[in-house]
Amino acid sequence: MATLGELTSVLRSKNAGALLCTLDLMFEDLATYRRVRDSGVIAPTLIASLYHVSENEVSIIPYDVAMAIKITVPRLIPSGSFGDTDVYGAQQHGPLLTIEIPD
Amino acid sequence: MSESLSMMATTGLLGYGFGEDSFRHGLAMDLDFIAADAGSMDPGPHYLGAGIPFVSRKAIKRDLGLMLEGALEKGIPMLIGSAGGGGSAPQVALVREIIEEIAAERGYHFKMAVIHADQGKDYLHAKLKAGKIEPLGPIDDVTPETIEETHRVVAMMGVEPFQKALRDGAQVVLAGRATDASIYSAIPLMRGYDPGLVWHLSKIIECAGAVAVPKTGQDCMIGTLKADHFLVAPAHPDSRCTRMSVAAHTLYENPSPYHLEEPGGTLVTLGSTYEQLDHRTVKVAGSRFEKANRYTVKLEGVRRTGFRTIFVAGARDPGLIAIIDDFIDSCRARVRRAVAVLDIRADQYKLNIHIYGKSGTMGSREPIKNATPHEIGILAEVLADDEETSMTVMAKTRLALLHSDFPGRQCISGNLAIPFSPSDIPVGETYEFSLWHIMEIDDPLEPFPIEMVEL
Repeated sequence: MATLGELTSVLRSKNAGALLCTLDLMFEDLATYRRVRDSGVIAPTLIASLYHVSENEVSIIPYDVAMAIKITVPRLIPSGSFGDTDVYGAQQHGPLLTIEIPD
Repeated sequence: MSESLSMMATTGLLGYGFGEDSFRHGLAMDLDFIAADAGSMDPGPHYLGAGIPFVSRKAIKRDLGLMLEGALEKGIPMLIGSAGGGGSAPQVALVREIIEEIAAERGYHFKMAVIHADQGKDYLHAKLKAGKIEPLGPIDDVTPETIEETHRVVAMMGVEPFQKALRDGAQVVLAGRATDASIYSAIPLMRGYDPGLVWHLSKIIECAGAVAVPKTGQDCMIGTLKADHFLVAPAHPDSRCTRMSVAAHTLYENPSPYHLEEPGGTLVTLGSTYEQLDHRTVKVAGSRFEKANRYTVKLEGVRRTGFRTIFVAGARDPGLIAIIDDFIDSCRARVRRAVAVLDIRADQYKLNIHIYGKSGTMGSREPIKNATPHEIGILAEVLADDEETSMTVMAKTRLALLHSDFPGRQCISGNLAIPFSPSDIPVGETYEFSLWHIMEIDDPLEPFPIEMVEL
C-alpha cells in the first residue's frame, strides 16, 4: 500500500471557473500512473464521499499523454460568495493525500 | 498563408511581470505579433464588481511600456485581452489611460482599437426572453430579477472583434473581457492556419511562462504555427519546454484536458501528439477544432451583497480550544441577543466564524473533525447591507469572543490574542457572481462595440 501523497509528483486543486473545483494527480513514471489509474480506487463513489457531492456530479478523466488523472467536482459555494473559504480553490486537495492505493 | 507564423506571449497576466531579458530575446526573433492576457476570474467577484484590477497600476504600466516599445519598434500588432482583470468598462478605461500616458510620455503614435465587453440590461432581457441564456455549470437559471439585481456584467468575446479591429487598421488592440485563447487565435485564423492547431497553441501559450522549465513564471513564450503542426519554446535560451510541461498544460483550470470550449466550437485534443523536437522546443500536431452549430459567449456578472467587516485573532488556551465549536455557537447566540437590543434583527446580517487550525481551509469538507491543535486562528466575518450595521455586529462579535465565559475558564481577562489595533477591519463593499452563463448570439461582433483611437 502507498498513499496518493506518496505516489503523485503533483497533487493540486484549482477552480475551473467559479462553480467547479478541479483536482489534478500527476505522476513521475508510467508504471505509477497506471497503478493508480487501474487500481479502481479513484472512483466516483470515493470522490463523492470525500467532497460531499453526489456521484453523478463527479468527473474523472485519465489523461495518458501527461500521465495525469483529472477529477472535477462542484464547489460547495461559488468562488467568493459569502461563506467561501478558498476563493482560488487552491487548497482543496488535502483529502486525497491519504487515500491508499494497493500494490 | 505564409509558411509560418510566430507570436510571443509576454506574460500569463498583464501586471504579473516578465523578465526583460526573456522579452528582448523573443523580440530579436521574427514575430508576427505580441500579446498578453490581462484577465482572470480566479480572484473572485470583487474586482469585476468594484471595477478595479487585482494587480497594481505601476506593474501594468511597466509591462505595457516594454510591450508597446517592442511592438512599435518591430511594426507588429500588440493585443491585450480582458483589460484590467475583468475586462469591464472601468477596468478597460484604466488600462487605456495607462497606454495613453505611456504614448504621451514617449511620443509614441499608433492606431488603437478599444473593444468593450459590458452588456446592457435591455439587451440581456431580450436575450433571456428569446431563450438564449443558459447556465454554464451548477448555477440557477437566469430570471429577469437576476438581470435587474446584477451590478456589472461582461461577455467574453471570441476572435471576431479582434479581427475586425485589425482589419480596420489598429496596431494596438485593447480588448475588454475575452477568452484567453481568442487573443492569440485572432491573427492566425485570419491568415488561414488550421483552427485545431491555432486554438491549441493559443491555449498553451496564453499562460506564457507556465509551461517553461525552470518555472520562474517570468518567461515569455514563443509559439510558431506551420501548416500541419506548431512549436512552443520559451523566449529565453536558458529555459526549456518539455513534452510533459506542454501536454500537461491543457489540464490547468479546465474540467477536461480533451475538450476545451470556445465561443464558436470546441478544441479537441484527443488525437494530439507531443514531441520533444530539441531540448527546449516541443512540437504538437493532430489537434482538431469542432465547429459548433451556434455561437455562444460566456457571461460573467456580479451582484452587490453588502459590506464586510473582518476580525482576526488567535487563541492558545487548551481549555478553550477543546470546546471551541460549542463556544462559537454560544457566542453566536450572544451576538444575536446583543444586536437585537440595537434593533438589528438576525436576518439583517450574516456572521461566519472560521477556525484556522481545524477547518478554516476546507470548511464543511474538512475530513479531520477532532483536531486539537495547540493554537487556533479565528477569523470572523460579518456581512450587512450597510457598513455601520456590519461594524456594529462585528463589535459585538469581538466582545463575545473575547470575554464570554466557558466551562473551566481560567483565562478570565480575555480569550484571544488580537494582533491589531484597530481590531475590526472594514473591507468595503462585497459582491457575488450572479451570472455565470452562456448566451447565444447571431453576430460575434454584436455585443462588443469597437472604438478606434488615434494616438
